[in-house]
Amino acid sequence: MTEDASTRPGEARASGPSVADTLASDGIPPPPPLLENCYTFLGDKDIGFGRYTSPEFFRRELESLWPRTWQWACREEHVPEEGDTYVYYIGPYSVIVVRSGEDVIEAFLNTCTHRGTRLLAGEGSGYSPAFTCPFHGWSWEINGTIRNIPGRWDFPHVKNETHDLQRVLCERWGGFVFINMDLHARPLADYLGVMPEHFRHFPLERRGVKLHVQKKLPANWKAAQEAFLEAYHNFETHDSPNGGNTQYDVFSKYVSRFIHNIGNYSPESLEDYAGDKFRQPLLTEEELLAFLGVYGIEVDGLQPGERARGVIAEKLRSHFGEALGVDLSQVSESVMLDSIEYHLFPNMFFFAGITVPMVYRFRPDGTDVDNSIFDLLLLEPLAEGAEPPEPPEPVLLDVEQSYTEVEALGWLGAIYDQDTGNLALQQQGFKTSRKPGLTLGNYQEARIRRVHMTLDEFLSNSDGAI
Amino acid sequence: METVQEYRVQAADLPPRGKTLCVEVAGTEILLCHTAEGFFAVDNLCTHAAARLCEGKLKGHRILCPLHSGAFDVRDGSALTRPATVAIKSYPVHAEGEDIIIAL
Repeated sequence: MTEDASTRPGEARASGPSVADTLASDGIPPPPPLLENCYTFLGDKDIGFGRYTSPEFFRRELESLWPRTWQWACREEHVPEEGDTYVYYIGPYSVIVVRSGEDVIEAFLNTCTHRGTRLLAGEGSGYSPAFTCPFHGWSWEINGTIRNIPGRWDFPHVKNETHDLQRVLCERWGGFVFINMDLHARPLADYLGVMPEHFRHFPLERRGVKLHVQKKLPANWKAAQEAFLEAYHNFETHDSPNGGNTQYDVFSKYVSRFIHNIGNYSPESLEDYAGDKFRQPLLTEEELLAFLGVYGIEVDGLQPGERARGVIAEKLRSHFGEALGVDLSQVSESVMLDSIEYHLFPNMFFFAGITVPMVYRFRPDGTDVDNSIFDLLLLEPLAEGAEPPEPPEPVLLDVEQSYTEVEALGWLGAIYDQDTGNLALQQQGFKTSRKPGLTLGNYQEARIRRVHMTLDEFLSNSDGAI
Repeated sequence: METVQEYRVQAADLPPRGKTLCVEVAGTEILLCHTAEGFFAVDNLCTHAAARLCEGKLKGHRILCPLHSGAFDVRDGSALTRPATVAIKSYPVHAEGEDIIIAL
C-alpha cells in the first residue's frame, strides 16, 4: 500500500498480512502484551547529520545526556557476593557498581575524593573488600564511607559528608543493575513504563549470560544503534524476506518496540521492492522450514496442512527445552521464534524471545564522536531453581574483526557482520552529503525519531529532571 | 642444601573451581588457582604493593588484588589492570593421578 491522499501521514502500512494477523493464526496464543499496538505519527522532518558528526553536539550529549539518564551497567550476577565490583564506563565518566551487602548493590563515581584519581582501572568485574586509591592510599568501605586517610592530621577539613565516595542512583530491573549519575533523576520505573508488565511474561531476571561480545564500531553511537531499530533493512542488508511487514510500537518517550515474524513472511509486503526476489517464485513452506538447519536440526518435511512456522516452533521448543532444562511446551510461536525487540532510551535493547534472546547496548567509544562500542549479550533462560552462572568475560572485537570469529555466535555472526558492515560507509556519507539530514519512514523508522525527540528534551532542558 | 623442585597438592586439598589455595614452599607463598581452564600456579604477592592475592578473588582467569584491584592473568602471570604493571611469576603445574604438582 502506498501513502496517498486517503491516508494521513503514518497511517499507511505494508500490504499483506500483518504481524497481528500472524500472531492470531499461531497455535499457541502469545502473551497479551504482544497483541498491543501503539503508534502515533511523530513527524517527518529530516534528522540533521550534524547530530552524528558534530563535536559540539557530541559535547552536549556528554554534558546533558549521559550524566542524567538511566543506563544498565552490568548484570546482578556480575556482582554475586559482597565486595564484588563492576566498573562501567560511559564517555569520560566511570562508575563503580558494588555489592555492599547481601542484597544491597550500590554505585559510586569512580573517582577519589582527595585528588580525583580513578579508584578502579579497567572496565568489568572485580573485587574490592575496600576501595583504596593507588595514589596516596585514601580508602573507603564498600558502602562508600571513609575508612582511612593516611596523615589524617593534615586534613582537619575533611569530613564524611564531603569526602565519602560520591554516590550515584542505582536500581535493579530484570536482573540488570542500572545507574544514573543525576541524583535528581526520576525513578527508573518512570523510564521503564510498560516494560515491567510486558517482561513479566518473559522475565529477564530468570536468564543467565551465555555470551558477551563487545565490538568497536566505526560510527557514532546513535547511527550504530539505529541499524538495529528497524527491520526495513532486512531485505537489502540481510537478503531476507522477513521484515517488510514488521510491527512498530512507540509506548512512551523512553520505550519502543518492534516485532517481526520468523518462519513465515509476507510477499505482499515486498511488492514494490526491486526485482522479483521472494515473490517470483514465492518461497515455499518447505524452503522456510529449512531455517531449522541453522540449529543443526534435521528437517523431515511437512505433513499435508502443516505450516513451516508452527513446525519450526515445535521443533525448537523441544530442542531448546531439552538443552536448557526448561519446559517450553506452552510457549507461543511468537515468543519462541520472533524478533521481539524493546528499546529503552537512550541506548538499550532487550529482546523477549527464546531463540532471539539478545540484549544490546551502544555507547560512545570514550569521547570520540565517530566511534562507538556495541555490547551484545545472549541471555539464556535458566532452569527452574537454577542460579545464574558466573557471566563469561566479554569477547573483545576491534573494528576490523568479524563476528564470525566468535564461534559461539553460530549463524548470527554473519548477520551481525552485515548489520555493522554499513556503518563506516554511513558515517562517512554523513560528512559528504549536501542534503543536510537523513530522511525517515513515517512508520518503520519512527523509533529512531522518538529517540531523537527525547534526546532533544535532555539537551534543551539541561537542569530539570526529564 | 637441597632445593625443592616440586610441590604436591593432594587431591583432597585442591580448591574447588573458582577458588584458590595458598601454599608455602621454602618460604615463598604460591597461589594455586582452579579456573574453568584447569589449575594454574602464580606468586601470591602482588607486584604493585605486595598485598596477598589469596585475600583477593579469582574471577575467570583473573586474580584480583584485594588492595587496589589490580588484575593478573593466572595463566601466565601477566598484569592486566593498573596499578599492576609488572607480571607475577607463574609456575608450571601438571596432574599426577588426582594430585596437582607445582614445578618450582
